[in-house]
Amino acid sequence: MNLNIEVNDQGLTQSVKLAGEIDAYTAPKLKEALLPLVKKANVTVIVDLEHVNYMDSTGLGVFISALKAAKEYESELKLVSLQDRVHRLFEITGLENIINIDSTVRGGK
Amino acid sequence: MEPFQFNLENYRKVLERYINTEDESSLYQAEQFSKLSMQNNILPEEIINIHIQALKDLYPELPKEIDASLNFLLETMISYGLAYQQFQTLRQKQGELESEISIAANMQQTLLSTYKPKIEGLDIGAVSVPANIMNGDYYHFVTDQNNNLGIAVADVIGKGIPAALAMSMIKYSLDSFPKTQRNPSIILENLNRVVERNVDTSMFITMFYGLFDAESSKLQYASAGHEPGFYYCAKSDEFFEITTKGMVLGVTSDSTYEQYEIEMDQEDIVILLTDGVTECRVGDQFIESDEVLKVIREYMHLPAQEAVERVYRHFEKLQDFQLRDDFTLIFLKK
Amino acid sequence: MSTTQTCVHIKKEWDIVGARQMGREKAKELGFGTVDQARIATAISELARNIYLYAETGKIYYEVVSDLNRVGLKIIASDNGPGISDISKMMEDGFSTSGGLGAGLPGVKRLMDDFDIDSEENNGTTITAIKWVRK
Repeated sequence: MNLNIEVNDQGLTQSVKLAGEIDAYTAPKLKEALLPLVKKANVTVIVDLEHVNYMDSTGLGVFISALKAAKEYESELKLVSLQDRVHRLFEITGLENIINIDSTVRGGK
Repeated sequence: MEPFQFNLENYRKVLERYINTEDESSLYQAEQFSKLSMQNNILPEEIINIHIQALKDLYPELPKEIDASLNFLLETMISYGLAYQQFQTLRQKQGELESEISIAANMQQTLLSTYKPKIEGLDIGAVSVPANIMNGDYYHFVTDQNNNLGIAVADVIGKGIPAALAMSMIKYSLDSFPKTQRNPSIILENLNRVVERNVDTSMFITMFYGLFDAESSKLQYASAGHEPGFYYCAKSDEFFEITTKGMVLGVTSDSTYEQYEIEMDQEDIVILLTDGVTECRVGDQFIESDEVLKVIREYMHLPAQEAVERVYRHFEKLQDFQLRDDFTLIFLKK
Repeated sequence: MSTTQTCVHIKKEWDIVGARQMGREKAKELGFGTVDQARIATAISELARNIYLYAETGKIYYEVVSDLNRVGLKIIASDNGPGISDISKMMEDGFSTSGGLGAGLPGVKRLMDDFDIDSEENNGTTITAIKWVRK
């Protein structure tokens, strides 16, 4: 399975659209794309997960790294449009309490 | 004499026959010659050299241009020969690495091995199967003199060697806590600090920790972001998800863990698992938790160990015997 | 036992060709077969290329050597470049800093019969390789 990463550079706002699956095979690619973005002060990185239909714990690991980097570099990380299955993972692991997740917009069906 | 000189004669004969008749059997012999050369570590440039020699024997008047062009080919093949030798060395190295990993896996099994205790009035079943050689799942039982049972089920994110190494750390921290201190929420708080201090930022561990009091049949438990298990209530013949709150281990240093309690009645079952069970996939389809429970229900009347093994075999077969993730399932049956 | 030394300076890429050619001529004179001539030329090519890429300038020496019952061609590649800090790493297959498909030093070792490196960080490198004439 594949993960498609589309970065839209709008200066202080970087929007990242993901499509596909985040697992042990695609997570390194996501990490490589995401980390440099959050390592800039005052930037807001919005990750759109509407088209991510599967994510395993390796994917969570990437978001935790990104979150830690964001804290260190004083940028902001925000996840939007999570599908239920993906959202559940953030819920179970308690990560929804420390990652900014906009769950008013739910992705997928 | 060089070993390929011996072959030159044969090569020339076969080449001559082929030039005259263009028959398939000569080509078959060429194939044999090529395989034999590989067995004897004969490099491509040497084969070309044999060809040149044979050709010169057969046609002493070989045009100068052809001779030069064959030399050109020989020079070109030198680097291919080197690449081939390099490939051989790397292949041998790969074999060595594989055997080293399998030794490490054996060692992990010994390090992390846990015994399944016998507790009066509790039937315990447990399976844990790695998707690859090394297991990133872990379960551990401890008992104290009052016959209380401590149960840890954990899952390290990621698979393979890094996960296995992290797991050994968890096991030894667990062992280092005093035997009298088996309070689930405090154990998780302590472990969280250990993991937070020691592990790479993108690595984390989920864990369920339970303490079963044999006297009162109460199970106290807390969870660090672990995949929720199930509680089967025999009286109402229903499954309940064991919902808990708690951050995964290793993300923030000051996480606290809420503690819960279940009182188990006769025939009740506590089912603990890792996401290798619930995230089980068949092709592109996920297995819904209803289906997991359906399978569990089918086997849960059996003795606990037999039941977990049958459930495992069911999912193993469903996934064509290729686990995508480490699979751990534990039954605690009253 | 007489030792006559010839030397080619490596300053620009074109000198690699000169170094190869000199090696091939010496090899031919000594009676090496076509395959070995090609191997010696390739080994020299690799050594000269390393000088050109990493040390910028250096020299390739050619020497006819003999012991009791055989003769050979000794190639010495010498430079005052940055040196090699970890020789074992450099001699590992699959480790190549040039990022290209170069055979690297393990390749040179395979192409020749004897091989030796002397190097210190910041103090240049001397590589010695010998090919013996097959009897």
